Amino acid sequence: MQATEAIKVLVGVGEPLIGRLLTYDALGMRFREVKLRRDPNCPLCGASPTIKDLAIHADGRGDACAATPDGDGQPARAATARAGG
Amino acid sequence: MKTLKEMITEARQVVPEEGPADLQRRLRAREPVTVIDVRDPDEYRDGHIEGATNISRGFLEFRVGSVAADPETPIVLYCQTGLRSVLAGKALKELGYKNVINLQGGYQKWAQSGLPTVREAPLTTDQIQRYSRHFLLPQVGEKGQHRLLRGKVLLIGAGGLGSPTALYLAAAGVGTLGLMDGDTVDITNLQRQVLHTTADIGKPKVESGARTLKALNPDVNVVALPTRITADNVMDVIKDYDLVVDGSDNFETRYLVNDACYLAGKTNVHGSIFQFEGMATVFAPNEGPCYRCLYPTPPPAGLVPS
Repeated sequence: MQATEAIKVLVGVGEPLIGRLLTYDALGMRFREVKLRRDPNCPLCGASPTIKDLAIHADGRGDACAATPDGDGQPARAATARAGG
Repeated sequence: MKTLKEMITEARQVVPEEGPADLQRRLRAREPVTVIDVRDPDEYRDGHIEGATNISRGFLEFRVGSVAADPETPIVLYCQTGLRSVLAGKALKELGYKNVINLQGGYQKWAQSGLPTVREAPLTTDQIQRYSRHFLLPQVGEKGQHRLLRGKVLLIGAGGLGSPTALYLAAAGVGTLGLMDGDTVDITNLQRQVLHTTADIGKPKVESGARTLKALNPDVNVVALPTRITADNVMDVIKDYDLVVDGSDNFETRYLVNDACYLAGKTNVHGSIFQFEGMATVFAPNEGPCYRCLYPTPPPAGLVPS
């Protein structure tokens, strides 16, 4: 699946999975698609980003994963979408 | 009888012209536009505008339908100096295409303006055979194959996700594959990490991976990077690639790859897997969300594939 997406992007054809999350359940053999939206408060690609370089990933900083605008540990959006839909 | 000059004057009345800068702006903005190079194939091979489809003037009416299905989408035509293409434009107008534009001054003016061009080395006989099934697909064709051969993809991880992805990309003829992984092959990897064989146990994964990929397709330049991706090396590594495939197995690396790709403006083809569940998406900077939009914080263990 990743290979197909890479080839599509390189060749410039089709609709890549931009803004869509495709999930695959091998036991049930089911595919599901969840729409993804940009988060305006995203600390990286949002309107007022707080991550402008890779400093939070520097050695000894354990908080690289947890960079949220307000650090409230809100649940992951896709997980919510999956549970609800 | 009309003179050539009269024919061209007539054509110019129905086919508007745009200069190289206008076309460059359309392409940069990724506007929907079909660019057709109406010159002969040898002229096209010598140098053309990236993304242009070559349909020689003589075949234009027969083949235009395969690249331009919608009569409203703008079509920009060009030839060497802009004369053949203006006549071609008139023919397309007569076919019912509403928005046909002639590139003023043609390829010559485009190239003289210092705008980027691409030149393709002709495919070898072996390559023509190897990729012949791609040529049967109108969406790929020879043009798509050249893009694949020029393509540079960095694979983060040569494990469960990186293995099949690398094999398919090598088989398809992606010209440069960077393989980045600091691990060595363990017997427990072999039931799913199909780049490696039993004889490779104990060897660096990028070494066995590079050997497998080269054996599959000698066209591919495999760059083996036997190191773990870190904040210190990531920017320097990804700058050489068009596209990153994240096949890593932990959240720390995913956030790092995500942040680096966004900052460097590289598309990140993301995948993850856990037991029987997998997921895939594509993060394209400024075109869609990033990994942090999806997971502002790492999800609790077991909730999503890792």
